[in-house]
Amino acid sequence: MFVEVPAPAVVAPPRVARPSVPRRLLRAAPPYLYVAPALALLVIWTYRPLVQTAQLSFYSWNLLPTSPATPVGLDNYARLFTLPAVGASVWRTLEVIGGLLPFTVVIPVLVGLLTQRIQGRARAVYQAMVFAPLLVAPVASATVWEWLLDPGAGLLNKILGTSTNWLHDATWAQPAIIVITGWHLLGFAVLVVAAGLANINRDYTEAALIDGASRGQITRWITLPLLSPTLVFLVLMTVLLSAQWTFPLIDTITQGGPSGATTNVYYLLWDYSFHSFDAGLGTSAGILLFVVFGLVALVLVWLSEKLAFHDN
Amino acid sequence: MGQIRIRAATKRFGAVTAVDGVTLDIADGEFLVLLGPSGCGKSTLLRAIAGLAQLDEGQLELDGRDITHVPPRDRDLAMVFQSYALYPHLSVERNIGFPLRARRRPRKEIDRKVTDVAEALELTELLRRRPRELSGGQRQRVALGRALVRDPGAFLMDEPLSNLDAKLRASTRYELVELHRRLRGTFVYVTHDQVEAMTMATRIAILSGGKLEQVGTPTEVYDEPASTFVAGFLGSPPMNLIRAKVSSRGRMLFAAAPDINLPLGRIGVVPETEVVLGIRPEHLRPHDSRPGIEGIVRLVENLGAEEVAHCDVGTARVAVRGPRPLGLAPGDPVRLAVEPDHLHLFHPTTGRRLLWQDDPAPSPSPRNDATEQGVLA
Repeated sequence: MFVEVPAPAVVAPPRVARPSVPRRLLRAAPPYLYVAPALALLVIWTYRPLVQTAQLSFYSWNLLPTSPATPVGLDNYARLFTLPAVGASVWRTLEVIGGLLPFTVVIPVLVGLLTQRIQGRARAVYQAMVFAPLLVAPVASATVWEWLLDPGAGLLNKILGTSTNWLHDATWAQPAIIVITGWHLLGFAVLVVAAGLANINRDYTEAALIDGASRGQITRWITLPLLSPTLVFLVLMTVLLSAQWTFPLIDTITQGGPSGATTNVYYLLWDYSFHSFDAGLGTSAGILLFVVFGLVALVLVWLSEKLAFHDN
Repeated sequence: MGQIRIRAATKRFGAVTAVDGVTLDIADGEFLVLLGPSGCGKSTLLRAIAGLAQLDEGQLELDGRDITHVPPRDRDLAMVFQSYALYPHLSVERNIGFPLRARRRPRKEIDRKVTDVAEALELTELLRRRPRELSGGQRQRVALGRALVRDPGAFLMDEPLSNLDAKLRASTRYELVELHRRLRGTFVYVTHDQVEAMTMATRIAILSGGKLEQVGTPTEVYDEPASTFVAGFLGSPPMNLIRAKVSSRGRMLFAAAPDINLPLGRIGVVPETEVVLGIRPEHLRPHDSRPGIEGIVRLVENLGAEEVAHCDVGTARVAVRGPRPLGLAPGDPVRLAVEPDHLHLFHPTTGRRLLWQDDPAPSPSPRNDATEQGVLA
């Protein structure tokens, strides 16, 4: 007679008492408690002001605690679209973004590719030197640049043999601000690109070398595509933060002048709020800016997700 | 064509000499495996052949052409990386076609060759996919396809199976051997896995500390290991290596150590000589009528078809391997026998294999080179 080998015993799962609700809550609490202080600060310093800004954008108020804020509905927004200064400042903001892209993307990529083969201590020294401008306070560098670009005794005019008033001439003020900001950001962008390049597995380059690709082909077909998430990140930073990065320079050197030549949207909304004391106009411009840049950021983040190649 | 000649290749990294004066001829159509433990320099040697590492000394030739200073792209070699190094942003089709695209071949030719290779490797269904959408085995095949697509002088492979699971590794091993038989190309294959080396190689080059220990067919390196390193590296468990003394009693030679007394089956007269005695675990027979080794069983391992018994013999540890059941239990005294033909002798300091010369004829130029095979005087 054949007898089948019995399968391993199957037992009904035993009942195990779950811990009490307070005990389970206590166990789950620590991560939330750790996050709580940061969250509280965010709410107090970012989200509450944001909500208040949105509220203020529907009022007319001159920032004086003694005078009442009067509700005006969408009037502030309507005024924004009719004021010629707004359109001009938006155009200048685009100029700043376009003017900074070479400093934050093009030059860093070129420098990154060319210096890729600098190794060891030389690399650390070089990166420290390139990064240094970011550590200089904008207000301090503004003073130094004012000397360098002085129409009378400035170094640049001496070298060029000209007497251009770089910072206070309607043609040159905006390019000068862009170049100075670019000088600040260049080192940071070079470091970001260097980190991006270092993140690309060397195996790809070596495989391509054996596969017969030239240096140029490897750069075009392997390195740049794999670097594209980093490049999108840099574009994102430039688009969203350009106007903010220029702010301290504009405020110390040109105050938006001459005749509005360096007034971009950030400076304009600051001007509305704290020079003209028109809280309603300033906040409505701020909210509009927040929405537009939020949408741009969403598109770029989506793009960088799409471009990221998860290798393993 | 794919004949590779390596002459006194040396590669240093700072104070470390990764490859130390390796001289090796790889014939056209050979499946040569570079075998050794991690850090033995086998990968560095392969990278030097590929041109990814520049040799500090020595010369490389491919089909009679000096390629020592030729950049990798002009060496006409293909390589499969341990990580596969599939370009993550390119489809399988573009990955396989990459070497042809880099060489600016016409589109039609690229398409045709990619289709052929994909068909041979059963990748046709996957041509549109990205590497991250593939399983480990599929990635391995794509990496192989990228090497096959352009008929190179030789194929270099750096542990291509180490990222696969055990079952897939066994079947891929078989496929690689098939591929080699079909292509008749030269394969240089780096691994630390002795099973891969023994099953796939036409010849094995065993490296230790950057130096070549032995080059030979799988049978040669297993049956006649040239050094204690090779003896202790191959086999599972590896060869038992025991310090012993060789002496002659009457006109017969014997090897002796505590609890060991084995006839060498040779007639001759030698002064008492220190040696290292080597015996493969599978050549030891328990329960024999003419035992030469006495010990105590410490541990018995069940391998399914076979058993391995670890025994204390004098001060040494000796492994015995045989079909299950061996009939041994821990704590048992055991007597072991071995055929004289299965005894290996090695020099106690250099570790090189000792050969017996029947006729002690006076050699015209006595060699003192420690790397030469020693002669038992």
